[in-house]
Amino acid sequence: MTAWVLPLAAGCLSGILSAWGIGGGTLLLLVMTLFLEVEADLARSINLLYFLPTAAAGLFYHRKHDLLDKPVIRTIAPWGIGGAVAGAFLSTVADAALLRRPFGIYLLVMGAITLFSKET
Amino acid sequence: MRKRRIRAAGCTSNKGVSYVKKTVLFPTAGAAAGLINGFFGGGGGMILLPALLRGRVSPQKAFATCVALILPLCLLSAAVMVLRTDFDFLAALPYLIGGALGGLIGGKLFRRVSPRWLKKLFALFMLYGGVRYLL
Repeated sequence: MTAWVLPLAAGCLSGILSAWGIGGGTLLLLVMTLFLEVEADLARSINLLYFLPTAAAGLFYHRKHDLLDKPVIRTIAPWGIGGAVAGAFLSTVADAALLRRPFGIYLLVMGAITLFSKET
Repeated sequence: MRKRRIRAAGCTSNKGVSYVKKTVLFPTAGAAAGLINGFFGGGGGMILLPALLRGRVSPQKAFATCVALILPLCLLSAAVMVLRTDFDFLAALPYLIGGALGGLIGGKLFRRVSPRWLKKLFALFMLYGGVRYLL
């Protein structure tokens, strides 16, 4: 039972942030790998899957509130989809240990940009 | 100083998508977000959101649109991961249930919160995570 409590709570908290578009997925990924000792490969898969019900739930309201920019979605989606398949495929052939450092750098860069950005 | 070009939250965004955005900014950001998101298992939204804001999508719409775009990317990347690695569905289940609950709560509260301070807090946590990953 306790094995379920922390993952459920982590999923729920990250889910709230995900629905707001603040990077809940990244938060969950960090919580899983740094605190809950989930293996990196599994954490990546869980994180990708976790976003499906989470985003679907959030989108239900976003659609209702007419907050989706459809022309923008139609422009970006095909490019993103190509990248998504290529990225996931690359991560399955890359050594998990090799992914740690680039992800760390990515986090530092994006963290610094988010911290100092005035845009939002 | 660069004039801030972001429209106030709640405004409707541009109708259609301009030529430069359509051919350069959005495709590049979309492909990069998909790659990063699939490669690291998340985090693509962090690339997409600034691109949407720069492309003059109003902040509130940008957050929501970002979620809508990341969803199919995660679906495809997840399919690739599940097919190509040993995947333990039972271990994933509590995260998925928690995520759905959080998504519902977040979606319902969305228009009542200002994500600004939350984003700054989250940025600090990302920096902490970055250091932990590099050590």
